[in-house]
Amino acid sequence: MPFEPQEDDIAIIGIAQTKAHERFDGPEVVMIMECVNTLLSDAGIERNDVGFTIAGSCDYLSGMPFAFVSNVDGMGAWPPVYESHVEMDGAWALFEAWLRLQMGDIDVAMVVGSGKSSPCNAREVFHLQADPYVVAPLGLDPDALAGIQARALIDAGKATEADIADVVARSRAAAASNPNAQLTGAVTTEELLSEPYDMAPLRAHDVSAKADGAAAILIARRDRALELSDNPIWITGLDHRIESHHAGLRDLTDSVSTRQAAAGAGVADGPVDVAELHITHAHEELILRDALGLGDATSVNPSGGPLAGDPVMATGLTRVIEVARRIAGGEATRGVAHAASGAALQQNLVVVLEGGG
Amino acid sequence: MAELPDIDFTLEYPYTRTTGPIMGPFLTGLRDGRILGTRVGDRVICPPVEYDPSDSSTVGPENLVEVGPAGTVEGWTWVAEPTSKHPFDRPFAFAQIRLDGADTTLLHAVDAGSIDAMSTGMRVVVRFNDERLGSVTDVHFVPGEEPPSAPDVDPEAEPVGIMEHVIGVRIREPLQPHRVAFLEGLMDKKILGQRSPADGKVHVPSRGYDAINRVSMLDAEFVQVADRGTVTSFTEITPVQYHGQTETEPYIRCSLLLDGADTTIGGVDIRDIPIDEFKVGLRMQMVWRDDITFDDPDNRGFGLGEEVYERWERTGEPDVDADLLKEHNF
Repeated sequence: MPFEPQEDDIAIIGIAQTKAHERFDGPEVVMIMECVNTLLSDAGIERNDVGFTIAGSCDYLSGMPFAFVSNVDGMGAWPPVYESHVEMDGAWALFEAWLRLQMGDIDVAMVVGSGKSSPCNAREVFHLQADPYVVAPLGLDPDALAGIQARALIDAGKATEADIADVVARSRAAAASNPNAQLTGAVTTEELLSEPYDMAPLRAHDVSAKADGAAAILIARRDRALELSDNPIWITGLDHRIESHHAGLRDLTDSVSTRQAAAGAGVADGPVDVAELHITHAHEELILRDALGLGDATSVNPSGGPLAGDPVMATGLTRVIEVARRIAGGEATRGVAHAASGAALQQNLVVVLEGGG
Repeated sequence: MAELPDIDFTLEYPYTRTTGPIMGPFLTGLRDGRILGTRVGDRVICPPVEYDPSDSSTVGPENLVEVGPAGTVEGWTWVAEPTSKHPFDRPFAFAQIRLDGADTTLLHAVDAGSIDAMSTGMRVVVRFNDERLGSVTDVHFVPGEEPPSAPDVDPEAEPVGIMEHVIGVRIREPLQPHRVAFLEGLMDKKILGQRSPADGKVHVPSRGYDAINRVSMLDAEFVQVADRGTVTSFTEITPVQYHGQTETEPYIRCSLLLDGADTTIGGVDIRDIPIDEFKVGLRMQMVWRDDITFDDPDNRGFGLGEEVYERWERTGEPDVDADLLKEHNF
């Protein structure tokens, strides 16, 4: 049965993304402009028609304090509107925009995620998300905790190194049809397993390819969405949950917060044709498939996913775009987008999208 | 002409954090040779927590108990290529260590020498570093059971009430093409702007985009503007003496609209014109430095710095009507 939207329901009415650039030789603002201009012209609206703008980004990546303020230039600072920012992936900006539109006083919002990670070593930035007293001073970064998590999976008998390599091989093959991907091409599991360890049992190719990039989404309340779009993609569920920042208090072989968010978003209420998962380390796909209850009928990361291109701070929002694009294109009718934040899948956001209505 | 260097700097912030009733004793313990956990219900949690993870109720310091010094590795990874933030500059393991007497694991570094020395279930034991400041980095772990020798402890030392942590990230990137053009122009004693393809206005210095019309200017035409212009706004800065401050005397910081430009340059410092003679509308001429080099260029693109000019002088031309400059305040 097609989804029947109510007055307060919210739909995606436009999507745009840049390539996952290995290095973009210009300001982050220009990448944002590229997305925003495409977004507005495709939707056939003016910047003045947008009542709320919000972005997700991280100033540490480009080493520019208040870069997030300059980024507003990319979205259009004039005329002034309700404006917000999260120092998180753009997927969490989408969450705030989705809440904001439910207040009912404005009906269109623009959401941006952007990042220039090429100037830094992301590992030297993101260990700062860890507990500042007992973990961050050790420099224990997400890649290191991912190595510990991957070994926990193997020790628990839930995965093998070959299973992890299979995720990479599938990602590279799928990315061949994604013009925005950074890493594509056929590799075999055997070839991948012959590479040296980096964060054993992980290898360098098990870690996402960090990129410069931006992504943007336009969302609207039901009536305005139906006016502006012939093919709105409805957000039928959206939830996010977080686990302890003490890894020792978590079961690293499961993603409890993903299970909770999936239940909150209603993932199991219908078939899932497509899922895009925010995995920055290959083994995370195995944990998330289980936590989201995805079976063989679901196409997982048909874009290649973040392993093939990880525009940090836009990567989670890009998952939403990839699912929406496939529903809009008729390849799927219902899909799930997932975004993650923190080390070893500490925090997880789940969006359910449906066409029709 | 001198070569422009790539951008390469380390952005640092010094953090000082109070430690509180649980972290304070834990960090003091590491400095003084013991490891503490907290008893929470029927579990001992290490590193210690100030709250019960199951219901968030407060866990007070009366629940602190000593654990270790040895423990069991429950999970680990081998760091083949350490980052600059890691505790060792040679390969080592990060491990989840369940210390004897504890029910949860502590994340820490094991100096094992080789990945072949690591396995899940192995025994490790703490080592206290010679220099200890009351930080989690005061210790590391090694394979085996042999207890650590008692470290030298200053019995007079105060408990650790503050934790200092300098965080920093090294930033390296090439100068973007529009910045290269602008800075090379300055070394050639030319001030170059870029003409917006949207409305023809000349932006000096260009940021690589036109924010008003929301268009990229990465490929926009370069235009030379004058080294002479009009003051559009200013303030007098009285230097506050903070760490890293090099200014001692009050000075004027102003914005100028150069002849031929449609945007102002900000951050121009004036040190030899009395404040009571300075005003919006004043006509100014830049006096170039002889040798212009940029040791520390950036992609941000504000203003013209003192590496470019000796000073700005009054031209003696009549002032421009301040009303005509209202659109160019900043």
